[in-house]
Amino acid sequence: MAEDTDPNAPWITFAGIAPAAITAALFVWFLGHAPTIAAGGSIRWAWDWIPSLQVTLSFWLDGLSLMFALLITGIGALVMLYAARYLAGHKQFARFALYLFLFMLSMLGLVLADNLIALFVFWELTTFTSYLLIGFSHADPKSRRNALQALLLTAAGGLALLAGFILLGLTQGTFEISVLNAGGSLAGSAWYLPILILVLLGAFTKSAQVPFHFWLPNAMAAPTPVSAYLHSATMVKAGIYLLARMHPSLSGSEVWLWTLTLFGGVTTVFASIMALRQIDLKQTLAYTTLMALGTLTMLLGGSSGYAITGAMAFLFVHSLYKAALFLTIGLVDHATGTRDADVLGGLARVMPITALAAALAALSMAGIPPFLGFIAKEVAYSGATGSPLWPLVILLALAANALMVAVAAIVAWRPFFGPQGRLPRVPHEGPWAMLLGPVILAVLGLAFGLLPGLAALIIEPAVNAVMGTPDTGGRLKLWAGFNLPLLLSVVTLALGAVLYLRHQTLRERIARLEARGPDFDAGWDRLLEHFMAVAKGQTRIIQTGRLRDYMFVTFGVLLAAIVSGLLARNVGGLELALAGLSVREWGVAGLIVAGTVATLLTSSRVTAIVALGVVGIGVALIFIIYSAPDVAITQLLVELLIVVLFAVAALKLPMLDREGVQRHRPLDAVLAVGVGAATTVVLMLVTQAPFDRRLTEFFEASSYPDAHGRNIVNVILVDFRTLDTFGEIAVVVVAALGAYALLKGGRSLVRRSGDAAEEENK
Amino acid sequence: MTPADLMTALPEIALAAWAVGALLVGAWFGQDRIAAPIMWGTAALFLVMAMWVGLSPAGSRMAFNGLFINDAFARFAKIVILASAAAVMVMGQDYLTKRDLMRFEYPILITLATLGMLLMVSASDLIALYMGLELQSLALYVIAAMRRDSVKSTEAGLKYFILGSLASGTLLYGASITYGYAGTTQFAGILSTIADGDMPLGLLVGLVFLLAGLAFKISAVPFHMWTPDVYEGAPTPVTAFFATAPKVAAVILLTRLVHDAFGSVPGDWGQIVAFLAVASMFLGSITALAQSDIKRLMAYSSIAHMGFAMVGLAAGTAIGVQATMVYMAIYVVMNIGTFAFILGMERGGRHITEIASLNLYSRREPAKALALLILMFSMAGVPPLLGFFGKFGVLRAAVDADMTWLAIAGVLASVIGAYYYLRIVYLMYFGEEGEPLDGKMAPVPLVLLGASAVIMVVGVINLFGIEPFATTAATALVN
Repeated sequence: MAEDTDPNAPWITFAGIAPAAITAALFVWFLGHAPTIAAGGSIRWAWDWIPSLQVTLSFWLDGLSLMFALLITGIGALVMLYAARYLAGHKQFARFALYLFLFMLSMLGLVLADNLIALFVFWELTTFTSYLLIGFSHADPKSRRNALQALLLTAAGGLALLAGFILLGLTQGTFEISVLNAGGSLAGSAWYLPILILVLLGAFTKSAQVPFHFWLPNAMAAPTPVSAYLHSATMVKAGIYLLARMHPSLSGSEVWLWTLTLFGGVTTVFASIMALRQIDLKQTLAYTTLMALGTLTMLLGGSSGYAITGAMAFLFVHSLYKAALFLTIGLVDHATGTRDADVLGGLARVMPITALAAALAALSMAGIPPFLGFIAKEVAYSGATGSPLWPLVILLALAANALMVAVAAIVAWRPFFGPQGRLPRVPHEGPWAMLLGPVILAVLGLAFGLLPGLAALIIEPAVNAVMGTPDTGGRLKLWAGFNLPLLLSVVTLALGAVLYLRHQTLRERIARLEARGPDFDAGWDRLLEHFMAVAKGQTRIIQTGRLRDYMFVTFGVLLAAIVSGLLARNVGGLELALAGLSVREWGVAGLIVAGTVATLLTSSRVTAIVALGVVGIGVALIFIIYSAPDVAITQLLVELLIVVLFAVAALKLPMLDREGVQRHRPLDAVLAVGVGAATTVVLMLVTQAPFDRRLTEFFEASSYPDAHGRNIVNVILVDFRTLDTFGEIAVVVVAALGAYALLKGGRSLVRRSGDAAEEENK
Repeated sequence: MTPADLMTALPEIALAAWAVGALLVGAWFGQDRIAAPIMWGTAALFLVMAMWVGLSPAGSRMAFNGLFINDAFARFAKIVILASAAAVMVMGQDYLTKRDLMRFEYPILITLATLGMLLMVSASDLIALYMGLELQSLALYVIAAMRRDSVKSTEAGLKYFILGSLASGTLLYGASITYGYAGTTQFAGILSTIADGDMPLGLLVGLVFLLAGLAFKISAVPFHMWTPDVYEGAPTPVTAFFATAPKVAAVILLTRLVHDAFGSVPGDWGQIVAFLAVASMFLGSITALAQSDIKRLMAYSSIAHMGFAMVGLAAGTAIGVQATMVYMAIYVVMNIGTFAFILGMERGGRHITEIASLNLYSRREPAKALALLILMFSMAGVPPLLGFFGKFGVLRAAVDADMTWLAIAGVLASVIGAYYYLRIVYLMYFGEEGEPLDGKMAPVPLVLLGASAVIMVVGVINLFGIEPFATTAATALVN
């Protein structure tokens, strides 16, 4: 980033300030609705969009969406201000500001949408705008690859989500979330499980639960303000928002409880351990985000008031301190040129305000009283003790929180208060536009902790919205008395301290462990490679470019279709009335077979054509035997004409190499016999059906009275179907004229195409 | 033949008269310099006829003793076919003129092919169906091989002809077996023989052959193999034509055949169509990943899109038919825009179709890159662009008809499909330095590219009101 930016460039530009100002205005507007929502109300706006598909553009502001809207606009405004300074003078800053603003709007749409399809539309919009943001510094191939990875994974999840939404909407008869949620749990529905799986696939990929987690740390290639925004309050929380939003409809089953607890738990522990292992501070924070997402998922698995209050409070406080920490790391990076945890140290003296913000945020993250982080942790522990799976949940939460304490110390203690390291640049305190965000957010963490009633104004309506009832059960208190959660907090802090002191050695061990474990990131690359290999291989096999192969497949499929059709209908009993055949008929059959054999065996093209002509004449003879002389004459004429024309044309064509063809002949023969046999069977079945004599009877009855002719065939040709006959004659004449024109004009055509060939070669 | 019959089929008659007249004029003067006037005249005629069809009174009218039907369903298809054929034809003029391929026969052959398509969508009889189909196919065989000096083009044309004749033969065989059992070639008559919902074996076999023949025409897997070769080998304007109007006509014809003639046994053909749909969606999407030529890519893309269109058809309901029609209309617009772009891909005067040539295209041509981005996103089904609503409609129809597995297969295929569309966007915006394209787009393709991109965005407001149109059309067919 450094080479693109010019620190002396003016940063107060339209592109820098306008988005932040608009976002701040939106924040104030939403804040104005807070009293209504806190009083238990909700607001809905709706417009018809595509009525026949039941898509409406409807928005619904209730406790949950208000909390998210406030976080999105509030943190958004601060991040945009920060970014204006951070990327000041960047050549493409205006583009960046546009992307960021669009992303903010999509995210806002997502949390406000009441229609499932509208929600999905915004969901995908966040995916694509975040793709543009993550891939913003696209000179870097790693950045581009990571952006694409994030895009593919979340877009795939998004489509699963769409399938889930369609199922949900159609089985329940409405696409409005407010109506769905009012209907209570769907756990009894026959479609519950497929819906749940599809929706969870969408939520888990977006919120980076194991095993879909690997895109999130990779997405840190984005500029720091983007990471701060995407990974604190917005993008990754979209999955959590969805789980919370659909909680009334989809929770209340064993599957929900177990799936969310297990996926969330595994993600939590995995992410905490990985966070310890990182050296780049931004990566460390990325993994703690992952850990927070895991914890939130785990808590949302429960349905008790404490669990939900814990989830909402934790979500709220995490957004505040995580954004603050990302922004301070951006400041540190900006000032020192490095984010290496081993190098950074003693920055508090030169960057006091940054250090203060980092310290406050980290204390909240570690869950030290009287910060809001502490309260959130207490409520979360209460929720954990009330869970049906409490031993598991408590253990996972304890491990995660202890590791979180250690990580908080790594991120905020050492760089600022630890021993001085050798820095690539002489550090300096950041400018006010960049300090404002982290300071406000960090101070809010403390202020809300001291005045939990104020935080409750935002958090409790959200809890009510998720629970579906105003009775929450979980209350936000700074001091809840001596109880199990408090004890757990003490244990957490002690454990965390130990982990921090030992984290250098732990880091090496984890690194060794990681080297042996599965590498999801590389696995993803391999998956894509396999995919490409399959695609290429398939092209090679199916799309050979050889006509013979195409014909083979076409006939093969037809054969399979006929045979399966016959088998499905279970056709039995085919009668072959061979006894009634005379010598004459046998003779014709022999002629046809002989013609076929000769066609196949000869190596001369003209012989093959003539032999094929014999087959055609055999068929004409059959028509004569079964008294259809008109058809027979047509057949004879056509057959002769084809043989003659084809022979004339064939004589002018170059001979082809037959060697390559020989190899396929046995297989071709099998297929040919198969298709022939199947067609024969079908024909015999068709002729077994009673013949529809309506037409025959009509002609028999009306030939003489209407047309005064005793020869029915004649009458049909010249009376009943005069116009047809006339048409046929016209066709023959046109064909003859065409042939004449072709033969006569052949020379000039050759000349013209020769000219064209020259043109093409130029 | 009464005057009423002639009025019912007026657009077809006008097109036939125009084609014959233009052919006479062209043959008389024997000069290709009148090709452009003929082309613009043809396009104008197409648009006038589309308007005529659009403004003609509602309701169903039969003509020529039940061979020909003019209902809301046919009218919807005819407008799409005529408008897209006109757009694609004029779009290629600059390309053809530059490469000395602008023969006066070209617009005439397009007229005949379009006439065939109009007959196809109005056919209510197996013989009428076959006539329309062959009229269309024979004209297409010729224009596929129009560039006779190019080996690739000739080979493609020959392959297309041989496989196409095979398919026509299959179709005709199916038609004769069906006739043998039903005793009639009229759709309504066939339907009346299976009114009790129990189909005789002969009809089933006939249906299988008919569907196989039509599957070839819409390039559904496993009858798709001609598509990539022909798309690649044919001159790009011809490829653009192949990818648009004929696909609409064939899908509409297939829809009418299964509903009008076999509507009482949706289970029997529903399975076949569902199989074709799933196979097309997956094979099209997966194989497209490996392509390096954009015309081949578009071939596989059209195979996958036909799969999606057939998802709606497989549902066997009015909602499904409506979804398929909307899908086809959106598909055509997206393809016109994309091919307008492909026509302008040039380097040093040579037509380039390698996807790699799009590397960092956005730096040089931000506006065109943005238009293509919108089209690619729309093709991939990214909301809120129009392509998304097309996909959403067919998937919803499948779920609605209790074919959830089909919808899920569709979702999976569209995930895979998204990858190769996004790859183009990725190359344009985040690619590596390579040999750039330097051609200038002719005005007509440029306008069409811009227009289709704008439609993809603006259309989301209310799908341009084609929804109620499609609903009327679908209910005209399924009741």
